[in-house]
Amino acid sequence: MRAKLVVVAACAGVLLAVGQARAHHAFAAEFDVTKPVTLKGSLVKWEMVNPHSWFHVAVKEPDGTVTEWLIEGGSPNQLIRMGVTKNTVAIGTELTIEGYRAKDGGLKAVGRNFVLADGSRLFLGGSAPGATGGDKK
Amino acid sequence: MNRRSLVSAGAVVLGAAVLSANIAGQAPASAAKAAPAAKAPAAKAYTPPKTPDGQPDLQGFWTNSTYVPFERPQGVTKEFYTPDEAEAAIKAAAAREAEQTEPGTAADVHYDFSQFGLDRSQSKFSYNLRTSLVVDPPDGKVPPVNAQGQKRAAERAAARKLAGGPYDSVQNMAIGSRCIIMGGSGPPMMNAGYNANYQIVQSPGYVMILTEMIHDVRVIPLDNRSQPPQDIRQWVGLSRGRWEGNTLVVETTNFNGKNAFRGASETLKVTERFTRVADDVIDYKFTIEDPATWDRAWTADAPLARTEGPIFEFACHETNYGIANILAGARAEDKQKAERAKKGSN
Amino acid sequence: MMRSRLLTRVTVVAFVAWVAVAMTLVTAQTPGYKAPRAPDGKPNLNGIWQAINTANWDIEAHSAAPGPVLELGAAGAVPGGLGVVEGGPLPYRPEALTKRNENRANRLKLDPEVKCYLPGVPRATYMGFPFQIIQSQKHVMLVHEYAGAVRTVYMTDQVEAPADSWMGWSNGRWEGESLVVDTKGFNDLSWFDRSGNFHSDALHVVERFTARSADTLIYEVTVEDPKVFSRPWKMSMPLYRRVEPNAQILEFRCVEFVEDLIYGHLRKQPSQ
Repeated sequence: MRAKLVVVAACAGVLLAVGQARAHHAFAAEFDVTKPVTLKGSLVKWEMVNPHSWFHVAVKEPDGTVTEWLIEGGSPNQLIRMGVTKNTVAIGTELTIEGYRAKDGGLKAVGRNFVLADGSRLFLGGSAPGATGGDKK
Repeated sequence: MNRRSLVSAGAVVLGAAVLSANIAGQAPASAAKAAPAAKAPAAKAYTPPKTPDGQPDLQGFWTNSTYVPFERPQGVTKEFYTPDEAEAAIKAAAAREAEQTEPGTAADVHYDFSQFGLDRSQSKFSYNLRTSLVVDPPDGKVPPVNAQGQKRAAERAAARKLAGGPYDSVQNMAIGSRCIIMGGSGPPMMNAGYNANYQIVQSPGYVMILTEMIHDVRVIPLDNRSQPPQDIRQWVGLSRGRWEGNTLVVETTNFNGKNAFRGASETLKVTERFTRVADDVIDYKFTIEDPATWDRAWTADAPLARTEGPIFEFACHETNYGIANILAGARAEDKQKAERAKKGSN
Repeated sequence: MMRSRLLTRVTVVAFVAWVAVAMTLVTAQTPGYKAPRAPDGKPNLNGIWQAINTANWDIEAHSAAPGPVLELGAAGAVPGGLGVVEGGPLPYRPEALTKRNENRANRLKLDPEVKCYLPGVPRATYMGFPFQIIQSQKHVMLVHEYAGAVRTVYMTDQVEAPADSWMGWSNGRWEGESLVVDTKGFNDLSWFDRSGNFHSDALHVVERFTARSADTLIYEVTVEDPKVFSRPWKMSMPLYRRVEPNAQILEFRCVEFVEDLIYGHLRKQPSQ
């Protein structure tokens, strides 16, 4: 599921009212829309930080070597209000992450979708991409 | 963790007495009739509890997340929706938020908000029937910027152009991206879009407002102290507060002009009014005055709804890796462009 | 006559004993001083407070010394201080002491204060900027001028730290006249001072704020960090009320002041 971003307060150059759809320019400047990636690996660490959290993921390359990628996710603050703690996601959790690679060429990406081994999304939203509608009410 | 249904779990519905208090004083009788929840007698005023030192109690965790647009949408002329219309508008906005982005487009280059609970529908929001937060002028739109304001806007635009591209330097980037200050701080406090939460704590002689992003605290003195010296300018200005009955009135001046609220100048004056109108609602109104930008004052009403804490530390600058990534990416692109140009000229 | 002399002797003995006890306190305290009550009946610690010492330079005893920036001359030099750590040098584990000394040798590059990062605890208290205590029944807020740092002390509905943070997660309680604040959930990124004294994410801090007189508090801190120190250690200092009639916490929004320092090397150069 690729829910569209409506408001990006962090990147608004002017204080805009909520509800105005606005392209998230800064992210498209940080990550390359022409370089989509799908990464499969295990969680080394979830940095529960702001303004965006970062997942350290050990990714097994086709040739067997393991590289550590840094993948950008969302602020953890609302998840914390919903009961998520630093112990919620176990180290070693297998993840499949679709996203886009950093423009500066490093082993970094923004994670569009974070999916567990059983196909469910890491935190919220139920079904993985491809399922129609999900559990939105 | 299922997505909760919009109105029942996510919304904080104004109590019947509150709806009638909001509507009866302002709207034509038809609006009051159309809102079935507003049948309660209009005269039942809410008496807020008091803090131990006798202030009306505003304490707790509050949110200004809302689906009510700041200005009245095109084609809408009335001040209030019916509850059915409001729900339909909310559902439409939430559906737009939940729309799939197209892979390979700029909009897709972002983590999916909903996975992190950051879309509006997955946390408490402030619900009311208004068609805009702006309530004065009565057409629900911010008055036009006057000639002086337009001149200043043009000067600012010219200065931005001179500064170069948006990623030539960190100073060219958005103030929020730089983790200096975000829109929820104000004043006036605007909907930050997510993590739109506040914590209010009161002690004798003070009201403290903590804005979640970026752990921004305003400590408002209530002791009628003298006007602040003109030479002190701050991002959040300098505030003085007083109680008028059950309403906290906060006047703020001394803005530094660097984060101009809708193009305002350094002479901006913001007057906020906080009134607890129900256990779960603080009516939050703000009036904007800046003769250097608008020829008339204007007012918005953006009630705060009670929400859950805690507010986890939003340390922003400390782990703002994105800035370095963005600048490094831009420099990498500059380099590639320069090399292509060199090859082209050979 | 006899009786009154006996009473006098008893009184003198008791007084001498009391003085002996009082002398063991770090600083002389008005005997049995009790702050006025806050409206909810608790000791009233509300106000704007500031430390007056050189702890932010170095929490251990230290002589005056040149500063790390040549151009600042005496204006950036280190004033001497008797130290706020009780009982001598900090009880570092050997490998941690090596790291402290490396920190110290590279403090201009490594000190998080230089980059306007949040100061952590207890450094925020003695940074040389004022902070305000705003006391309510459910929450006691500590609002710092430096970098707008803020701490929420949960007096009720107490939970464990959900994740690590710069300022930690604080649960508080009243013990007689003292506000006791128990803080865990720190990351390992802040320092105790400008001299490289540091901690790990196992840091556990217990602070006591006790009114000493109408305009002073005694601030006592117990620090525990088994990854870095071989035993817990204690620091203490007075805190002084800012008594100016218009005293207030101002903005020290320092991110702007350090952006070129941190990102200047990524600025587009004119030739590009």
